[in-house]
Amino acid sequence: MAGSSLDVLQNLPRITLANLRPEPGARKNEKRRGRGQHGGNRSGRGHKGERQRGTRPRLGFEGGQTPFYLRIPKYGFNEGHSRRPQYQPLTLKRLQYLIDLGRVDPSQPIDLTQLVNARGVTIQPLKRDYGVQLVDEGSDIFAAKINIEVQRATEGAIAAIERNGGIITNSFYDPISLGILIKPVPFFMRGQPIPKRMLPGEDMVPYYMSAENRGYLADPEEIQQARRALAQKYGYVLPDISKDELCHMLAMRKDVRQIFFGLSPGWVVNMPEKKILKPTDEKLLQYYSS
Amino acid sequence: FVLCFHHKMSLGLLTLRALRGAPGLCRRTPAATGGLRAASSAAPRDKRAVITESTEEYKFVERLIPPTRIPDPPKHVGAAPSGWTPPAESPPPLPYMIRRSRMHNIPVYSDLTHGNRRMTLVRKVEGDIWALEKDVREYLRQVTGKELPTQVNEVTMTLKVKGHFEQELKDWLASKGF
Repeated sequence: MAGSSLDVLQNLPRITLANLRPEPGARKNEKRRGRGQHGGNRSGRGHKGERQRGTRPRLGFEGGQTPFYLRIPKYGFNEGHSRRPQYQPLTLKRLQYLIDLGRVDPSQPIDLTQLVNARGVTIQPLKRDYGVQLVDEGSDIFAAKINIEVQRATEGAIAAIERNGGIITNSFYDPISLGILIKPVPFFMRGQPIPKRMLPGEDMVPYYMSAENRGYLADPEEIQQARRALAQKYGYVLPDISKDELCHMLAMRKDVRQIFFGLSPGWVVNMPEKKILKPTDEKLLQYYSS
Repeated sequence: FVLCFHHKMSLGLLTLRALRGAPGLCRRTPAATGGLRAASSAAPRDKRAVITESTEEYKFVERLIPPTRIPDPPKHVGAAPSGWTPPAESPPPLPYMIRRSRMHNIPVYSDLTHGNRRMTLVRKVEGDIWALEKDVREYLRQVTGKELPTQVNEVTMTLKVKGHFEQELKDWLASKGF
């Protein structure tokens, strides 16, 4: 029976506008109220009053009583919504899916650039996105040892990654650095030197300096203590990373002012000739290393 | 806290010098593509500035370039932790075949129109689509106990089923080996 309707069509005459007809019962005429013999007289409008005469007041009017939409006072729920930082959520389930399909390489440190190159998340820095946040949906399925760097993470997500022997860091990217991080190739084609990554603003500094959030500005010893405390809270044995063969890769971390791994601020990348140009003037070096 | 503020203060003083210094870099390298800086009419003091070139760190740049082709998934024994199953090595001996999408997933999608019309769509069907329709109807009758209306489109080789059965159909097709 495969392709039967196409075979039948080949033997029938040519389809023209005169040959087409809808399936019986497919098109039903619309219901028109109030026309004709038994719908006539008042034509479905009722008896006198505003209903029949079509002069009813606007929607929400309550006959003079203060209507509901004016009784309730205004409150700034959405005030300043365009000044609030947003973080695109990334579930552990999706991260595991990306690793399973080979789109994200777990043997290299996972960065926002790697996630965007794998088309795992879409970040719009112009819509007040400040990065990606790791959400712990799928933490029970997650089984991959990775070195991941995000901008925000829930406690459950941190626990799930550390339970599998990975490392998670929360670091801050200001909007310009974020735009460069997401699309490095158009930035390199511009020919500008790689800028320094700015430090977080006053309100975000406590978040990135606390060890519970694994902030990049926090003290390493405090982070170790926080890892042990979290393992005790969630009830798993904290695996020892220093004995791992990928220890060197897992311990790789970016400098506070660095945007890309291996590339310092101040360098210019020449893509057509595959070269990197570095400044030698001491004032520039001092500026870029401050 | 104090350290951070100090950082920001020193930045403000040094950015001006950086702006004046950077155009020298751009001008030195006519080969580097990119936008022209308007401030490149800098003082002749840039003749002193020397730049070093290197190619060792270019491998870090190559890591940042996004791939142009979808990578092949690595070999898994059975199901992956996320629930993804690879297709069987040889296609199953059935009169129809359902290809995987370009992201290596099973092409079954749920649709919702007019806010309340639920449909499940099976795309990328090859071969005898009516046999597939019969099997799908039989399987869903066992699962739900209801006779569900289906629609076969022989031109686009797709199958629509009334109701949301995306997960059930995906599991059933994966178990068949598609």
